[in-house]
Amino acid sequence: MTGKSKMTSRERVLAAIEHREPDGLPVDMGATPSSGISAIAYYNLKKHLGMDGPTLVYDVVQQVAQPEDAILDRFGIDVVDIGRTFNDRPEDWYDFELPQGMTVQFPSWFHPRKQADEGWDVVDKEGTRVAYMPFGATFFDQTCYPYLDGYPADYKQLPYWMGKVHWAGLAHSPWDHAGEADFWQQLRQRAIALRESSDRALVVVAGCNLFEWGTFLRRMDNFLVDLVNDQANVERLLDALMEQHFQTLEKVCNAVGDVADILRFGDDLGTDQGPFMAPKTYQKLFKPRHSQLTEYVHKHSKMKTFLHSCGSIYKLLPDLIEAGYDVINPVQITSRNMDPVVLKKEFGKDITFWGGGADTRHILNRGTPEAVKEHTRRNIETLSPGGGFVFNTVHNILPDVPPENIVAMFEAVDEYR
Amino acid sequence: MTENLTNLYNCILEGNVDGVGQNVQAALDEGVEPGEILSEGMIAAMQEVGRLYEEGDCFVPEMLVAARAMQAGLALLKPHLLNTNVQAMGKVAVGTVKGDLHDIGKNLVGLMLEGAGFEVINLGVDVTPDAFVNSVKNDAPDIIAMSALLTTTMPSMDATIAALEAAGVRKQVKVMIGGAPVTEEYARKIGADGFADDASRAVAVARTLMTS
Repeated sequence: MTGKSKMTSRERVLAAIEHREPDGLPVDMGATPSSGISAIAYYNLKKHLGMDGPTLVYDVVQQVAQPEDAILDRFGIDVVDIGRTFNDRPEDWYDFELPQGMTVQFPSWFHPRKQADEGWDVVDKEGTRVAYMPFGATFFDQTCYPYLDGYPADYKQLPYWMGKVHWAGLAHSPWDHAGEADFWQQLRQRAIALRESSDRALVVVAGCNLFEWGTFLRRMDNFLVDLVNDQANVERLLDALMEQHFQTLEKVCNAVGDVADILRFGDDLGTDQGPFMAPKTYQKLFKPRHSQLTEYVHKHSKMKTFLHSCGSIYKLLPDLIEAGYDVINPVQITSRNMDPVVLKKEFGKDITFWGGGADTRHILNRGTPEAVKEHTRRNIETLSPGGGFVFNTVHNILPDVPPENIVAMFEAVDEYR
Repeated sequence: MTENLTNLYNCILEGNVDGVGQNVQAALDEGVEPGEILSEGMIAAMQEVGRLYEEGDCFVPEMLVAARAMQAGLALLKPHLLNTNVQAMGKVAVGTVKGDLHDIGKNLVGLMLEGAGFEVINLGVDVTPDAFVNSVKNDAPDIIAMSALLTTTMPSMDATIAALEAAGVRKQVKVMIGGAPVTEEYARKIGADGFADDASRAVAVARTLMTS
């Protein structure tokens, strides 16, 4: 950070979201489970930097690390997730040797079982196999699809079946504590303590996914077919999900609506080649509901609304802006129609791009450090003028990204702050 | 084209499974050649679905719905095709590479290839290089189509081509690859014969490979 900086990290992030040009480029790594760094890449980065300390795998499904304070300071990160205030005792973690040979720390509640095929199973308390990681892979895939065979007659058991989906059953912090009696009180107290001890902007990750829950419960192929063939059942499911989501949002807004700065929603709407669905399908089934979720947050808190939505979503961006999202992530610039120049020109005044700073599929993984710098500079210069940009890679930094390239990326970032 | 085939074509575009079944049966009852039902009613419809997808006028849900309707019709037609001289366009073994469990894209490619008249052998997910080699030996496909979603599993495509070479069967089969992180440049680098970035283009690539 340069000495001339006047804004705090929080002010810098909020200025960018409000489209006021900040004093320097605001930067995220690790404030959400889709803007962070894989445990393997994190381990390698710390080794490269000669730093000790644990590699806390806080998102076990994606095997993503929770960056420690020393790393946040080293790279001048401006924003963090309030979930990091949980699992703060040594006994909340234990050592686990990854198949790749590195020793990292898993949450004490997470115990995958090695199988005869060298893959890893995750079985829940009732004996349901909820996730599997094949040998050589670096994250866990879903194995239980509760509504695979059809929609239920009623949704009284919806929360139970949602818990069988690995994203919920193996939720990252703070949600791994959500069942505890004083959870909401704890969340508030811990978030306030974090706000008092840090000037970084604070994110609360609340998900409230709709399209994705359809794909988790019915499986992707079935739910996509349902979008065309069985819209009545799709709408029944979405209404039941909305009931759950409103209950969550009410509690989140009550607990941290005046403490956190940003509420992070998720709903992946894009494939590499285009949206999963026609804009008219989105407008009919999802847009009205997404609008209700953002409206609730804006009405009941001071938090900005952030949507994580992967892939090529160019054709949906006008609708997403109308639905009330302040921020869009991860800005997957490698997908079709996602040229950052076009995105900034057409939508830059209406939404904040949180991502798109560096491609985690080709350039960071396999480019030279110089190519990484050049690529990073070009994206920053495209996306940052006039605010409306928080620097972040396109999604999480993947396991195969060499530490030299991460350092090179941040060296380029430093030129803009 | 008879009215039944026109209806069949339209039912596939609409994803109307019942309509597809009725019109395949009606065409058979009318004495239309099974090969003609396949090419004029079904393959032509799936070709149109691919065109609409590429132009951005139809999306994955509509493509899946059409493909499922086409499959229902194909199941009804298959016994009749066996009694004729109608040859498949070619045989393709599709699989997601080792370490990777993602099969939506791969299955969509398989469906679109079937819709184009190819015989498709689905090897599933997490397919080892040896399993691809065994498929070449046992199933004698014309083409192997490999899919990977992850940057970390993509190198298994390279390893599979090496395994085909080591087993002495590389020249017996064409290799095409696709999936989110895969690029044309990568395909060239590892010596694959073809690359496609979506299911519709995969059909065009497979057709080209059959004639090259």
